[in-house]
Amino acid sequence: MEDQIVRMTSRLVVPFIQVYGIYIIVHGHLSPGGGFSGGAIFGASLVLLALSFNLEAGMKQISHQTASVLESGSAIAFLLAGMAGVFFGGNYLANRAAGYPLGEAGALFSSGAVFVITLFLGIKVASTIATLFYNIIEGED
Amino acid sequence: MLNVLPVIILVIIVVVLRFIFAVEARSILNLFLLGLIIFMLSFTVAEMPPFGDPGNPVFNEMCLRYLEDGVAETGAVNIAAAVILDYRAFDTLGEATVLFVAIAAVIATLQSHRKEE
Repeated sequence: MEDQIVRMTSRLVVPFIQVYGIYIIVHGHLSPGGGFSGGAIFGASLVLLALSFNLEAGMKQISHQTASVLESGSAIAFLLAGMAGVFFGGNYLANRAAGYPLGEAGALFSSGAVFVITLFLGIKVASTIATLFYNIIEGED
Repeated sequence: MLNVLPVIILVIIVVVLRFIFAVEARSILNLFLLGLIIFMLSFTVAEMPPFGDPGNPVFNEMCLRYLEDGVAETGAVNIAAAVILDYRAFDTLGEATVLFVAIAAVIATLQSHRKEE
């Protein structure tokens, strides 16, 4: 599909969508949103890029292999972030008891495990959407 | 004796659908079952406690604990994030697992189809 308007618009809009997705993920403990919604926004930007250009242009941002690795890796990272609670004398997925620094409430780097897990969840959801999309598109060729 | 009227209405509706609009018997049965589900769900909703009533069973000590001590215990200003990622983090882990298993199943299905071609 060769459409100059769609290509130009998506080229302008995709960086803003990605920044917004990262903002939603990183501010998950401060404002409405979080890992799931922010990851979905970021994943949608990758889908938009691959749809308006072609699969190669989308793959240039995050390749299929990278998306798969990120997806599995962030799931494992979530488990390990929870295991930290067990190693440092608390329950599984503990926050304050596991020794995560809580910081000042309302600051960007605060709330310990909540921030970390939101980050991993966001990466996981975004790469899940990318992996799913790449798999479906590649099947059509 | 009060229950006779709805039954008569139901029979009339079924007869009209079956013999005047020529709807299949199977479709009428589906319609009847859907109507039954709607009927029961409506009664369930009518029995639910009123929205925002302070006497509701959801407003217990858990709710107060989250609202009063949530920021001090988790450091997260967003109480929803504090609940799903700290107090109920195990539930979120299950959600992430569901996501992972779903994508694994989709990839497995798509790959097996590709191999046959």
